[in-house]
Amino acid sequence: MTAADLVAVYPEIIVTAVAMIALVVDALLDRRRAALALPIITIAGLVVALASVFNFVPAGAYFRGFVTIDAFTSFFRAVFIVLAIFAAAVSPAYLARRGVPAGEYYAIICFSTVGAMTIALSSDLITLFVGLETMTIPIYVLAGIQRTDRFANEAAIKYFLLGAFSSALLLYGLAWLYGVTKATDFATIANVLAAQGIANGPTIVALALITVGLGFKAAIVPFHQWTPDAYDGAPTPATAFMSVGPKAAAFAAILRVLVGALGPLGVDWSAVLAILAAVTMTGGNIVALAQTNTKRMLAYSSIAHTGYILAAVAAAKAGPSAGAAVLFYVFAYGVMNLGAFACLLYFDLEGTRGASLDELNGFGRRQPLGALAFAIFLVSLTGIPPTIGFVAKFVVIQPVLDAGLAWLAVVIALNAVLAAFYYLRVVVHMYMYEAEEKVPRIVSGRSLSVSLGIASFAVVLLGIVPNSIYQWALEAAQPLVR
Amino acid sequence: MTNVLSLLVVIPLAGLVPLFFFRRDERAAKQVAITTTFVEFLVSLWMLTQFHVQAGFQLVERLEWLPSLGISYLVGVDGISVFLVPMTTLLTFIAVLYSSGGAIKTRIVEYMTAFLLLEVGMVGVFIALDLFLFYIFFELMLVPMYLIIGIWGGPRRIYATLKFVIFTLAGSLLMLVGIVAVYIQSADATGSRTLSLPDLIELRGRFPADFQFWVFLAFGLAFAIKLPMIPFHTWLPDAHVEAPTAGSIVLAGVLLKAGGYGFLRFGLPLFPLGVQAWLPVLIVLSVVAILYGATVSAVQKDLKKLVAYSSVAHMGFVTLGIFVLNLQGGVGAVLQMLNHGFVTGALFLFVGIQYEKTHRRMIADLGGLANMWPLFTTFFGVFVLASLGLPGLNGFVGEFLVLLGTFGFSGAPPLGGLFWGPLAAIGVILAAVYLLWMFQRVMYGPVREAFRSLPDLSRLEIACALPLLLLTVILGVVPQPFIAYIEPSLDRVIRLATDPSFTVVAFR
Repeated sequence: MTAADLVAVYPEIIVTAVAMIALVVDALLDRRRAALALPIITIAGLVVALASVFNFVPAGAYFRGFVTIDAFTSFFRAVFIVLAIFAAAVSPAYLARRGVPAGEYYAIICFSTVGAMTIALSSDLITLFVGLETMTIPIYVLAGIQRTDRFANEAAIKYFLLGAFSSALLLYGLAWLYGVTKATDFATIANVLAAQGIANGPTIVALALITVGLGFKAAIVPFHQWTPDAYDGAPTPATAFMSVGPKAAAFAAILRVLVGALGPLGVDWSAVLAILAAVTMTGGNIVALAQTNTKRMLAYSSIAHTGYILAAVAAAKAGPSAGAAVLFYVFAYGVMNLGAFACLLYFDLEGTRGASLDELNGFGRRQPLGALAFAIFLVSLTGIPPTIGFVAKFVVIQPVLDAGLAWLAVVIALNAVLAAFYYLRVVVHMYMYEAEEKVPRIVSGRSLSVSLGIASFAVVLLGIVPNSIYQWALEAAQPLVR
Repeated sequence: MTNVLSLLVVIPLAGLVPLFFFRRDERAAKQVAITTTFVEFLVSLWMLTQFHVQAGFQLVERLEWLPSLGISYLVGVDGISVFLVPMTTLLTFIAVLYSSGGAIKTRIVEYMTAFLLLEVGMVGVFIALDLFLFYIFFELMLVPMYLIIGIWGGPRRIYATLKFVIFTLAGSLLMLVGIVAVYIQSADATGSRTLSLPDLIELRGRFPADFQFWVFLAFGLAFAIKLPMIPFHTWLPDAHVEAPTAGSIVLAGVLLKAGGYGFLRFGLPLFPLGVQAWLPVLIVLSVVAILYGATVSAVQKDLKKLVAYSSVAHMGFVTLGIFVLNLQGGVGAVLQMLNHGFVTGALFLFVGIQYEKTHRRMIADLGGLANMWPLFTTFFGVFVLASLGLPGLNGFVGEFLVLLGTFGFSGAPPLGGLFWGPLAAIGVILAAVYLLWMFQRVMYGPVREAFRSLPDLSRLEIACALPLLLLTVILGVVPQPFIAYIEPSLDRVIRLATDPSFTVVAFR
């Protein structure tokens, strides 16, 4: 390990330090002061980390080939940190109201973010797996952080058991891959597989196990069963974070492994991925249609969005535009989905429950700006311009058609119509019904309102001028192409 | 000055700023909205004066927008769109003016915001020359109208507005797939792609026949639902019946035109082979729409629903005129779009005024209104006569040209113009039947006691109706100047549609 190695992972070091500082501050200050200081410290630290991402580090391999720094790494680092900042900013009021230990909460988010960032910089199966676990284990804790809540406990245990199961599957697949190629670094694996030519039995077993393992992490149908319960049962700010951070990280892993390392494989797994994508988006949307609880509805809809992202992965042979579509969609999805979940924080409900549709009645009048932000996120999730969600749909459909998967593009379009029905139903309840007596009390924190305001503004602005982000995504996708 | 088109997009957006600051003052909000839409109308007239009669796109503005995708902000007008823009701004102004007179009682500020956003989308649709930009404006019309029907509409507004949105989105999302397909197909050897319409017209040799077949279907579905063509029309009666009066005016007057305009602007020039392949279906559906719309109108009990179904018949004339693929038919279709905008917009206005006074919309509950309301009767009567195609008023000109074009139609289907022309002409007769019968039942007969003390048109209502009346007469008596504007551009579109090898240098 040299000094250059350490410089290369500066952002990760800063985020880790932020987590430590949060824990120490929590121990030193009394509860009231800590509640005030912790979010500020966390957000400030993460902003510094974000700045350090843009600080020039020469692209290349570090830590003897275990770590690679390229445009792809930088893009995902930035996405993860932005999402962590957003998640930290919307939480304080909820944490104070529920007596959730704030120090642990912020530290967990930072630790999980470090794990996600590690996935993005991995160039070796071992780094990848370490990153994946570093990211996931804190999330298990996060899901169960409201210890006295039964649903939260159920969510945590379900998430933990299925997460452990999927990690085992993935690890088994990685072991097979090592057995076939006698290497753990992506470049060698890719070269060996390329030289090997036609895929043989063991390679396909490895590929299948890895796909299933990563499919669990990303919540691809039929490996999605844990998602609704875990998202529904976890405290709402935790749901907001875990619905986007780990999913983005799972796609970082999918791109690194399936597109990067296993890309040269002769077997045409893009057909499998395309079918999985179609099943995922359709399944998620159809079940979301039947939901009357907004939080659960958003949980299922996040499965549908996994399908759209996976469609772009399936179109990998279209070249960099496919990778760019995945990156762009992951970013867009992260901001709008985190925002949508966070809008539920306006409702003071028991336990970890999300608002039922009837409880949203009259929200447009009771909290005009909050409702406007929610409506913008929902319109964006539907994919209606001028929002970032529309641009994301556009850039996904493009490689899908380019790869000759016209049927999948039509499936995406029809699914977006299904999704429009349940997303806009929320808008109906917010604006077109009057509040009844039993609607929950509205609570608003200033940091919640401000961060939602910024995020919803960004969703519209980046929908109108998406060029810089797309350009960056395009550059970040270049390292995947060989 | 050449930025007049962008100005048209910016003015309603700029109007949102004072609206935000006056969000607690309803009176001021109304004034802001009226002023903004009026200025927008004046600017659109100014735009009209800058237009020269010739075929190509004019007042073109181009701005790099998404260079990494090869997409630019490209706007311009030609003879087809040059009247649709002032029509849009006039109808929006009238809708806002009428709404501010007391028809809308709650959440005025939000209402005016929705209308200004809607105007951006509507004007944008008619000036966008890049498919990406067009799609954005096309969808931008959706959300404000969704809110206008859903918040300020009638008792079944939520069902109606969701149906409207889901139908429209189903079409437009498939069109998005079509747009991306065009984008990919436009690639040249170096891989550079474009969505600019003038460029695509030159490149359309790259679109093979089966590609055109499917992509025209994707575009056509979106436009057919918007228009609406039979069998995609079922959202229209629901949406119209539940929408507030101003919403109906704009929905019928402008939003439906986006469909017909889309066919003329994108469908015909880009996919001549696709048009040929689908021609029999399109002609049959158009004639069915004319006859079915008229028949169904005749048996409506609800006044507003009757006008809504008459729209289906009138838009049938538009599509028929477009797809007979000759100059008369096409010019007739464009005129019919304008006429329908003014006349049906006015009919919805008067149904709304009538409802505000009597609180009844069932034809059976009305009657004898002519005795108390001389002014109302005169205005309403003229618009009804225009709608049924009385010579001397505008409705006649458009329908006559469309019929003329239909008789001259010699297209792909086994049956020629001599079969379809008379069938469509029956629709004109049916229109006279249902409109006059309605007029008789609503306006004549004994005076009802409940209506005796109701006032005639107010000054505001006259101000709203008068411009439409003037245009109805002017377009009916001297249509020639308008036709002269439309003809060269339309001629180009028809030639692009009928001759796959015909290319033009767009506007350079």
